[in-house]
Amino acid sequence: MRTHTPHAKRAGISAAIFAVIVTALLLNVPAAARATPTVSPSTATPAAGSTPYVTWNGNDIANAGTASSALSIDLSQSATLNYSWSAAAGIRIHDVRLEMFYFGFAVTTRDVFLNPSQTSGPVSLGWTPVSVGYVLEGVYRLTASLIAPNGSTMWSENFYVRGTAPLGFVALLPIVLLLLVVYELYGLFRSGRYAALGRTSATPPPASPSTETPPEGTTTPAEPPSQETPPPAGGSP
Amino acid sequence: MSAASHGAGCGVVLGIVLVIFLQQVGYLILSDLMPAIEYLVVGAVVGGILGALIGWVLGRSYLSRHAVNEATAAK
Repeated sequence: MRTHTPHAKRAGISAAIFAVIVTALLLNVPAAARATPTVSPSTATPAAGSTPYVTWNGNDIANAGTASSALSIDLSQSATLNYSWSAAAGIRIHDVRLEMFYFGFAVTTRDVFLNPSQTSGPVSLGWTPVSVGYVLEGVYRLTASLIAPNGSTMWSENFYVRGTAPLGFVALLPIVLLLLVVYELYGLFRSGRYAALGRTSATPPPASPSTETPPEGTTTPAEPPSQETPPPAGGSP
Repeated sequence: MSAASHGAGCGVVLGIVLVIFLQQVGYLILSDLMPAIEYLVVGAVVGGILGALIGWVLGRSYLSRHAVNEATAAK
């Protein structure tokens, strides 16, 4: 029978309070991370023959090339990307692409296919990442690229966005991770109970006495028929 | 299973989960595979060591407060 000492109860209450405090602190982080975009809108127009450039809702993605200068976006809001390139650059573009990476894999990809292929932009690409926003949030690397008709990447640029979930916290993965953190913290604080189990399993079990009586309610199995019983005697005269 | 091994198991899971959670709240970038795997391995190792230490300490304190013959209570 399980016994709860007052000391164990106090430890359990302390662990529960600690878990609640950690939960409250961690839940406040995404709200604090919601900030206004730090990148000012770019008003520069591309010169003829200049390198292609892309704007995210008017912000030049070249200004978000590092994680510290990531664009703060709401993953429930739509975004419009404008790809601009000039004919003097000498490239024909068939596909305008946007990719979002997680653990090295593209979790979402958007394409605008140009048919026929164009030698100059701009091309607008709309992206509404609501489905991603209900699963993920955080800082991600995105890649904007221009693809030639033969499939080769003519130009690409990496930039970072800091996406917040709808309502700031309604994302599946952070909630599941938070529950896992609380559960594992509870398991960690409870691990002391396993010391008694480890000690008893380490000691060899005592030799079982031969006079052990079977527990009540059990029946001894019937003896199998002996193999050495002689066959019935035949009718010999 | 001893208290240290149980704590180590919890610590490994906790270290991995914390790394992914820190990415979700915006402190880590796991977009590229190679640093992401390194972060996860480091989190698992550090979490496992710390969890084993915490489990060992908690196990000693538990044994000092309970008799060994109450082992079935831990189940």
